[in-house]
Amino acid sequence: MCSFKMEILIPIITLGALGLIFGVGLAIASKRLAVQVDPRLERVHGLLPGSNCGACGGAGCFGFAEGLLSGKFSVDACRVSEEAVKEKIAHLLGQKIEKKIKKIATLHCYGGKKVKERYVYKGVQTCVAANLILGGQKACVYGCLGFGDCARICPFGAIEMNTEELPVVIEAKCKACNKCVLICPKKLFSLVPITSKVYVACSSHDPGKDTKAACPVGCIACGLCVKACKFDAVHVVDNLAAIDYKKCTSCGACVKVCPMKTIRVRG
Amino acid sequence: MTLAHFLTIFISAVFVYNVILSRFLGLCSFIAISKQTKPALAMSLAVMFVTTMSSIITWLIYRFLLVPFNLEYLRTISFILVIATFVQFVEMVIRKISPPMYRFFGIYLPLITVNCAVLGVAVLNIDMFFINGKAVQGSFYYSAFQGICVGLGYTLAMLLMSGIRERLELCNVPKAVKDFPLGFVIAAIMSLSFLGFNGFKF
Amino acid sequence: MKRLFGEFLKGIIRENPTFVLLLGLCPTLAVSVTVINGIGMGIAATFVLLGSNIIIAMIKNTIPERVRIPCYIVVIATFVTITELLMKAYSPALNRALGIYVPLIVVNCIVLGRAEAYASKNSVKNSFLDGLGMGVGFTLALILISGIREFLGAGKLMGQTIVKGFEPAFVLGMPSGALLVIGLLLGFFNVLKNRKT
Repeated sequence: MCSFKMEILIPIITLGALGLIFGVGLAIASKRLAVQVDPRLERVHGLLPGSNCGACGGAGCFGFAEGLLSGKFSVDACRVSEEAVKEKIAHLLGQKIEKKIKKIATLHCYGGKKVKERYVYKGVQTCVAANLILGGQKACVYGCLGFGDCARICPFGAIEMNTEELPVVIEAKCKACNKCVLICPKKLFSLVPITSKVYVACSSHDPGKDTKAACPVGCIACGLCVKACKFDAVHVVDNLAAIDYKKCTSCGACVKVCPMKTIRVRG
Repeated sequence: MTLAHFLTIFISAVFVYNVILSRFLGLCSFIAISKQTKPALAMSLAVMFVTTMSSIITWLIYRFLLVPFNLEYLRTISFILVIATFVQFVEMVIRKISPPMYRFFGIYLPLITVNCAVLGVAVLNIDMFFINGKAVQGSFYYSAFQGICVGLGYTLAMLLMSGIRERLELCNVPKAVKDFPLGFVIAAIMSLSFLGFNGFKF
Repeated sequence: MKRLFGEFLKGIIRENPTFVLLLGLCPTLAVSVTVINGIGMGIAATFVLLGSNIIIAMIKNTIPERVRIPCYIVVIATFVTITELLMKAYSPALNRALGIYVPLIVVNCIVLGRAEAYASKNSVKNSFLDGLGMGVGFTLALILISGIREFLGAGKLMGQTIVKGFEPAFVLGMPSGALLVIGLLLGFFNVLKNRKT
């Protein structure tokens, strides 16, 4: 009888003792190893968008929040948050923010499917990889290769490839985080202020004859746009038209006169 | 407790009976985490640490608590309690020492608790190094060493797999076999190649 | 009534733990060398799943939030120990065949996953049916995989030779064969799933 009771009691006591020791041990450890967290850190991190794009220079949104509290970053370094959110964060931290003009990623190429191919490419289907082989499969060595690296890297889904094999930027979603600018191997993207509606849809520095042979909508450096501009905002530099956005008023005079339809209105 | 014994344990735990490719312990985390090398390496090192320490602790508890009181059947419960507590403890320590590493591990750290490899090696130690409830000579050192070797085997398989899968990301695979089916077939080929180590004897 | 049956059925096809949720792969691949082993493991896992689902659904309101995972693990470990002892007593051959994978049912992702995701939020009746469905789904998946492996890998089914003069591919009986079979099966089910949409 006695041993039967012992057979039940001993396991209960043993396991109970083990559980108790572990539980108490963990409780003590959690007190001794407690981490002091600034309560503002969680609040600031909660207000941030959480897209972890890295445009601010911090290690994701959490790194940015830590940098904000330590004074390393200022609130307007974040390009993704809306104005109201940034003001809330600034208020929380006792900082002031200045207004910045919103920018949009713009693709300086309109060739896409219209451009002939020099060879059939069967390698890794990314722009970066294709660019390694003699500068890509397109006849224009400056133009978009169309494999969609930019669409894949955009954290906000603001870039889509259209039927012309060109990326299209959805203005409402673009946060100018700069990722597409950095990844395009042809360096075709630039961040243009949202108020400037006119842009040069070409990046080819080839002489006009060669550009025309490769692409039907490339810039031939004819100079008609320079003559048409009343604000001295367009110049032809190295066989390519370039717009100075400090002077451009988006009047559209250059768009009307361009024979190749290379200078375009965005959207 | 000869060198040959230790070498046999090393070869069998890392190569012949590799914990993932042969015993299938830790397969869930293997398939889920081995897509990139950096998380794979971090997870493997964490698992190696946990398997070594839990091998030691569970051996001590089995030898000095369960065997004397004839409680061998409580092995499963007590072992898993030990592992869960230990992983929780490690989580707290990492959080204190290095918050970036803690955030890097994220959810994978608590997931080591249910990693089959950890409980598996603890049970394996008991099955291999206890005869009729009595510890074989040198059993403690064999168990601890087996814990380390299982961790090494896990690391080896993870690193090989993540290297292959990183390259695989760039290839055009049919949609139906993307990710998991192809991962398993690759693991099958790797497992086949590891069979070549069969028959090692010292 | 139909809804209850639906709870049971979902574990078999739509949310099959092995092929759809990809849980509990460790024992699936390891024990599926013969159909008998597969069925044995399936029944053991189903028993543990049922027991733990019921108990956890019963005590879910009395466990504090922070210690719920260790509590679930202890409940599951208890049932696994019961299963282990029953198996050692009544079918020692099966116990030897399954080896260390019987105590490893504790950390089988299916059991803990269903406890955490379902039993902690639903009634006892629903948890029972869910556990039953998942267990049956798991057993069926095991039977499928071990059937293929045993027939093509050892030329037998349930220990009986079916086709005379059939040279089996031994690799299927080995670990690499298991990984190959499940990889191809997953790919096959993906094709079926993609064709539907």
